[in-house]
Amino acid sequence: MRMRLFLLGGLLTAVASLTQTAGASDAEALQARLKALPFKIAYESYVNGNWEIFVMNADGSHPVNLTKTPDLNEHYPQVSPDGTRMCFVADKGEGRDAVRSLYVMDVDGKHRKKIADYAREPFWSPDGKVIGYLDQEFPKFNVIDYYTKGMNFYDLETGKISPHPNYTNLHHLYNPNFCANGKWIVSTVHAGMGFDHTILLIEAHGNKIIDLKIPGCRPRFSPDGKQIAWGSSDNEISAGPIDTDSDDPKMGAWRVHIKDDKNKIYHSRWSPDGQFLGFSRGPDGEGDVSKPGTFQAACEIMGVYAPGWNIGVVPAQQEGVIDLEQTTNADFTMLTTNGLSDKESAWFLPRKK
Amino acid sequence: MIRKLPLLGLLASLSLLCSCGKSGSEEQGQDKPASPGVAASAALPTSPFDLVTKSGVEMVYLPGGEFMMGSSQGNADEGPAHKVKIGAFAMDKCTVTHEMFTKVQLPNPSHWQDNPKKPVERVRWRDAKQYCNERSLLEGLKPCYNEKTTDWDCDYSANGYRLPTEAEWEYACRAGTDGPYDFGAPDKLRQYAWFVDNADEKTHPVGQKKPNLWGLFDMYGNVSEWCEDVYSPTYYQESAAVDPHGPPSPGKDVKRVMRGGSWKASADMCRATFRQGQRTGDTDACFYTDFCGFRCVRRVTAEELPPLKANSK
Repeated sequence: MRMRLFLLGGLLTAVASLTQTAGASDAEALQARLKALPFKIAYESYVNGNWEIFVMNADGSHPVNLTKTPDLNEHYPQVSPDGTRMCFVADKGEGRDAVRSLYVMDVDGKHRKKIADYAREPFWSPDGKVIGYLDQEFPKFNVIDYYTKGMNFYDLETGKISPHPNYTNLHHLYNPNFCANGKWIVSTVHAGMGFDHTILLIEAHGNKIIDLKIPGCRPRFSPDGKQIAWGSSDNEISAGPIDTDSDDPKMGAWRVHIKDDKNKIYHSRWSPDGQFLGFSRGPDGEGDVSKPGTFQAACEIMGVYAPGWNIGVVPAQQEGVIDLEQTTNADFTMLTTNGLSDKESAWFLPRKK
Repeated sequence: MIRKLPLLGLLASLSLLCSCGKSGSEEQGQDKPASPGVAASAALPTSPFDLVTKSGVEMVYLPGGEFMMGSSQGNADEGPAHKVKIGAFAMDKCTVTHEMFTKVQLPNPSHWQDNPKKPVERVRWRDAKQYCNERSLLEGLKPCYNEKTTDWDCDYSANGYRLPTEAEWEYACRAGTDGPYDFGAPDKLRQYAWFVDNADEKTHPVGQKKPNLWGLFDMYGNVSEWCEDVYSPTYYQESAAVDPHGPPSPGKDVKRVMRGGSWKASADMCRATFRQGQRTGDTDACFYTDFCGFRCVRRVTAEELPPLKANSK
């Protein structure tokens, strides 16, 4: 199924490229490529005093609010590999009394179901049958991203929750996600497990832990599992190859792919065909405590209001560094421009269950 | 699933965990050398003494008084030396440790996590203030910090915990003396501090070195300590004479005062009057400054003293 999706996406991308009209500007060409894609993008946005999950087309058109829950603040949409379901977290309450819970629903927003309380950073197994997530470190709410302990797996069919075999040693992880073959989970760790701050490969069904020794945070496997993209600083997104079939994977020669000296760029996300990299982009900040359902911390952190932040996209396979402050619109485009703290995008090819 | 710990159990655990310094220390329960200054209130004791808070944290009561703040012989930002009057307050006997930090359900950001009695470091300024509020709530006190303001404005009239002002910190460090170190000659610093000459490039469990004359441990070295004040190198030229709170916040890119030097500081940087301005790290998800720690203070009034004394050893 995955291979078919890749082929379909790649084919559609190629068709879109070939159908560029002669004489159209490069920017229009990129827009045309995006418009022709069958993909959609989920993301979080702060509207009318509330965090919601939206879904838009790959060219940024037709954003639709999937949640519309004024009493809950939804974040961090993650779409199943088959494009049928979406897991996410939702915060209820304010300040230290807030409770973050894990939910799953269909990608059209229907059949919403709560899975666990005090749960964070959900991620899908490659077969879409299991949702991994991290327990919150303590019951009292804290917005910090690494406020986690352990790791659990929720079986969607049986409803059973199983701890990772190395549960007790997993501490202060965030942003975990599976590689395509299901052997490894990549994650950031901060002030935990004997590490200061690094990106780890965690054996999905064992105890092995490998420090990838790359700077930065928030890694994301490409859909084929052969590359990782991540934020190598506040202002850079890098990508590089990795052999996840190995029992001792190492990063290959990686490079900075996107830079922005003026804004922060975070939350790198691959399109299902691996041809595009989405990201969140906006000015530095520490939130706005006057806004309900938000917290104060670095603005890229989930739950922190980030005024001026939007979702953007670049071609993933382009040579050289794409400098967002210097380049033309041919190399990137912003898919949202409302600045409503749009973050944490997730690309997917939507399908009905 | 996760259950909340019964409050009593938590308080009991804290009382066991939060003891600081040498057990059976001869200072405990005894009065220390008196403040040279004027007591803020005639109803309050005029000598320092140890006390234990409701959640079991050891503090030292410090009488109000007057002292010469700063130095005209130090760095430019240490002058001019000027008279400052301080009201009575209580200060943590040691800097906040890993186990104290996590007991109020905050994530330990520290670089060195090999001993829970080590001082917490890599603490952002606002994280330190959050700890103060959490500890206040744990003990049923009114939090000092308004979490709905950008800088978490401090209500100095609240009875909860807060960071010391820069003046309070120096007053406590000097302990009634007027030299660079309260213990006298600089060559004794090794007995009182973990600093660059003896720290082996890491933090150490609190309370292992000698306390200062008022019974406060690790005032020199180990971790530098956040203060409430905005850092301004020229503030002493315009400082208030009574309980100064530092200059107003200029908004963005604020530096706050850190005091006391750390495991990586020279002896000079550990002096009682040495001032350091440090960015708060509040917008930095990866705050790597592994020398930034803190300790708490709280106000003490004549009405509040009896219950505090009742908890004391």
